[in-house]
Amino acid sequence: MRHTRSRCGVTLLACLLAAAASGAGVAPETVSTTQLGPAAPTWFVVKAGLGAGYVFDAADGEMIGTLSLTPWTPTVRRHAGRGEIYAAETHYSRRHDGERTDVLRIYAHETLSPVGEIAIPNKIAALHRHYLGVLSGGRFVTVFNMTPAQSVSVVDVENRRFVGEISTAGCAVTLPTGDRGFLMMCGDGTLQWIGLDEDGTESARVRSAPFFSVEDDPLFDDPTPTPAGWQFLSFAGVTMEAVVENGEIVIGKSWSILGKDDEGWRPGGGQPATFHAGNDLLVVLMHQGGVDTQDQDGTEAWVLDRSTQRRIGRITFEAPASALLVVEDNEPALLAAIGGSVHVFDLATGVRQRVVQTNQGGSLLRY
Amino acid sequence: MRRTDPGATLGRWFDAATRRATAGLAERTSRRGFIGRVGAVLAGSGALPLLPVARAFGAEEADATGAEEVDGDEVEHLSEFGDPKSCDYWRYCALGGTLCACCGGGPSKCPPGAQPSPVTWIGTCRNPVDGKQYLISYNDCCGKAVCPRCFCHRTEGAKPVYFPSKSSNVLWCFGVDSNAYHCTLATVIGEAPDEAPAPKAEESPTHE
Repeated sequence: MRHTRSRCGVTLLACLLAAAASGAGVAPETVSTTQLGPAAPTWFVVKAGLGAGYVFDAADGEMIGTLSLTPWTPTVRRHAGRGEIYAAETHYSRRHDGERTDVLRIYAHETLSPVGEIAIPNKIAALHRHYLGVLSGGRFVTVFNMTPAQSVSVVDVENRRFVGEISTAGCAVTLPTGDRGFLMMCGDGTLQWIGLDEDGTESARVRSAPFFSVEDDPLFDDPTPTPAGWQFLSFAGVTMEAVVENGEIVIGKSWSILGKDDEGWRPGGGQPATFHAGNDLLVVLMHQGGVDTQDQDGTEAWVLDRSTQRRIGRITFEAPASALLVVEDNEPALLAAIGGSVHVFDLATGVRQRVVQTNQGGSLLRY
Repeated sequence: MRRTDPGATLGRWFDAATRRATAGLAERTSRRGFIGRVGAVLAGSGALPLLPVARAFGAEEADATGAEEVDGDEVEHLSEFGDPKSCDYWRYCALGGTLCACCGGGPSKCPPGAQPSPVTWIGTCRNPVDGKQYLISYNDCCGKAVCPRCFCHRTEGAKPVYFPSKSSNVLWCFGVDSNAYHCTLATVIGEAPDEAPAPKAEESPTHE
């Protein structure tokens, strides 16, 4: 839903012209600006790596609006209850040079425009969709830093203040999990979980045992969230879920998404997997290729039932797709980024419903 | 030896441009390359991440002492084959970004006014002329608007961002005046050492 608000009074000339025209028998139009009503679950953001974020509705293919982000903004996250969108942004006083200022910027849902900002250390890492997270409870936001020393900035968005910086050597990304905590993926084949206390300072840090080999079969650094935790996927198609229970990291049993007749297929792409919570389905972008093809775009999406660990559907694309995202409405839709468009499929049937011309590639984010 | 094939280069660029629309770099957020602390680096990758830093600073020292300077695009005693403006060029086997050679620079020279980052990620690429493996340092050139030409994304031996020494999943403009990304170099820093012995099973776990 979008509403309009008259601004005739803002410009005297416009009002005078309107008054002059009023006698011509045509009702004069007024200039106004759209204000957004409640968001629909079918809204999504196309976030270009070095560009803005564009909001669309998968239900009808219409564009909703634009988030004018800096080129170095890694991603955005929304807090629906507060009607706020958060973006970690790097600014330079002279566009590409001059004094650097990093901020967590707060955008209002109604206008998609900034309404506040919080200064944070000039260390924001670009560009990855898991470099920003809203932790459970919604009060704290984490920003992944790299200088190249790795750390995480913690921001209290309720009280609009920077809380502090946590050193996270050897670990990257920030995946909200557990009570006021987040998981990180580490270069030694482990996960690390950091929990915060009520003030946002680090109160717990635990490390899993090594459970994957970075050398032999790394996990994609782009896992997909599940209701309980995160679903990880390896370059060779092995997947497992990690959850945090009672302050401990629990790694579920791994299984392969490949069947006995699937030799030669691999997951890949810029955003290789997505998840449909309603039916517990993992959807993976697949291509035919060998080792080191992990970033290759996919020609198919495989729909996998986690409960049975079996594939229950395949969707073939007319051209290779770079990213997948499920948006969950009554009828879940699968979005596939193909060049400068997003193709929308009925996830249950695999039938393509529409093509949204975004004229912009990039990662697909739930609004 | 270098082979120039502008038609093929243009064709690749066109293919890439149409396939990715205007996003090009946008959807490729890979840069693999460094871990915050030495201990963490050693845990995953041996000493490789330190090499490019040492190399860059070593060059500065050579300048300061008036030592003989080797042109940035001419590697001593190295015979090459290929077009540095092509993504197929052998040095680009793990490069993710736009090619500085297409943007007013060269494979080892930033375009005018751009500043090379002294911290990089590393690839190991095979030179087709001598068949040897070389360590390639992928330095980003920084401080200017992104160059829109010759986007290239190859992933031979590349790792995710949590193993940054071999990751192009991050912009590598560090230690420079402006972190604005412009384009990427591919500098030969030496022959690759022989492969390390396979790690012990307990140090290199497989999926459970």
